[in-house]
Amino acid sequence: MRSDREAPPREPGRPGLAGLAAEPPADFAVRVLRRVGIPRETYDTYVRLDTAAGGLYVAASPDAVTGAALDTGGLTAAGFEELHRSRTHRSAVRSARPFPGVTTALRTGRARRLPVDLSPLGPADRAVLEAVRAIPAGQLRPVGWIAREAAAAPEAVVGGLARNPAAVLIPCHRVTYDNGTPCDAGHLPEAGDALRAAEGIDLQRAAELRRRGVLFLGSDTTRIYCHPTCAHARRITAPHQVPFRTAREAGQAGYRACKSCRPVSA
Amino acid sequence: MDEKAERQLTGLLAADLDDGFTELVRVHGRAVYTFLLRVSGSPTEADDLGQDVFLRAYTALQEYGSERRRQLRPRAWLLTIAANVWRNHLRTCSRRPALAGVPVDDHADAWTDRSPGPEELAALAEDRRRLVSALLELPEHHRTPVVLRHVLGLSYPEVAEVQRCAVGTAKAQVSRGLKGLRRLLEPETAVLEEVTT
Repeated sequence: MRSDREAPPREPGRPGLAGLAAEPPADFAVRVLRRVGIPRETYDTYVRLDTAAGGLYVAASPDAVTGAALDTGGLTAAGFEELHRSRTHRSAVRSARPFPGVTTALRTGRARRLPVDLSPLGPADRAVLEAVRAIPAGQLRPVGWIAREAAAAPEAVVGGLARNPAAVLIPCHRVTYDNGTPCDAGHLPEAGDALRAAEGIDLQRAAELRRRGVLFLGSDTTRIYCHPTCAHARRITAPHQVPFRTAREAGQAGYRACKSCRPVSA
Repeated sequence: MDEKAERQLTGLLAADLDDGFTELVRVHGRAVYTFLLRVSGSPTEADDLGQDVFLRAYTALQEYGSERRRQLRPRAWLLTIAANVWRNHLRTCSRRPALAGVPVDDHADAWTDRSPGPEELAALAEDRRRLVSALLELPEHHRTPVVLRHVLGLSYPEVAEVQRCAVGTAKAQVSRGLKGLRRLLEPETAVLEEVTT
C-alpha cells in the first residue's frame, strides 16, 4: 500500500500519521459501482500503462478508448481523473484491466484499428486526428501531408494535434513540420523523441537529412520518390538513393510519387 | 477537499444520482479505504467493509430527495457511515468470536491478520510500520478520531460530526489518542515529535 500518490490535504508538520494514507486495490471503485448496479456505460475506467516516454493513463468506455495522457508533465492519477472529467464529462475510475487491445497497440505501435472515441471534438479536428492515425508505426509525415489527407487547412492541423485526446494511441509524435522538424504539439519534445526512438526511427539520420534540406528520397532503379521514413525508402541501398528537396524537383527528374506513403506531389 | 469541489459533487448528486455516485466513489473512495485500513489494520477487511460502506451510501441516497442530497457534506457523511460500519463490524465480531476477523483486545498480537500484509511490510519503512501497529494498539474510541484527524486531515467539527459528539469531546479524544500513541512509541518518540494537538 503506497501512499506517495495523492495524499489528502493536510497541515504541515505532521509527517508521521499523515503518511499513512493508502491506495485502495486497483479495482476497488469498479467493484463498488458494479455491486451497487451503476450501468457500465455511464462511466469510464482507466489504467496506467508503461510506454517508452513514461506512464500513460488510458481511459475507456466499454466500447472505445475515450482518453489517454502521458504522465511526463507531472500528471498524477487524480490529475488525470480531473482532466478526463473536464474533457469528456465522464468519470474515470481506476481499474485493474486495460481496454482490450490497448496493451498490444502500445507494444507494436499499431493503434489504427483501436476504437478511439473522438466525438467530443469538432469535425475538423476529428479529420486531422483520423489522418494522423493512418501514419504507420516507425514513419514520419509532414503537416502538409496531414492537411491534404484530412482536407483541412495546414494552419488548422497543429491546433488539432495539440487537442489530441489520446496521446500516443493517436500518434501525433509521428508528425513533423514541413521542413522535417518534429512537431510535438500535444506533448513534451523529450517524450516525442523517446516515442520516436522506441519505434525505430533513426533520429540522427532524420536530423542529418533535415540539415541538408532533403525532404524526399528517390530510387534511381524504380524512379519513385518517398518520404525518407517510408518502408520503401528505407530499402533503397545507399548507391541508389537520390535525395530531393522538393516534390517539383523530383517530378522534373522524372520520378513519380510512392503510392504507399503518398508524398505531396508538385 | 476544498469547498468548491464538494459543492460541485453535491450538485451532481442532486441532479443525477448515478453520475454523482460515480464521482463520489472516485473522489472519496481513497479516504474511506484509508480510514478502514487504519482502524482495522487489515487490507482485506478494509476492502470488504469499504464495499459495504458505499452500498449503504447508495441505498441511503436513493431515499434522499434532491434537496437533501444537495445539502450533504459528502466526506464527513461517508466517513460517518464508515465509522458506523466499522463499529457494527466490531460488535458482530465480539458476539461471534469464532468468525471474528478482528481479535478482542489482548489477543491483538496473536492474529496475523492484524499486522500489515507482506506487500505493506516490504513497502513500509520501519518507523512507519511501528506507527501502524501502535495505532492498532490504541483503544477503539481513540483510534477512530486520531485516524480521522491526523491520517485523513479532517477538521475538528467534521470529526465531531462523524463521532456524533461535541467538538470539545472530539478534541479531547484526539489528544488522548495522540498521548497514547506517544506512550506506545516511547523509545522512538522522534517519529511523532512534531505531532501536536
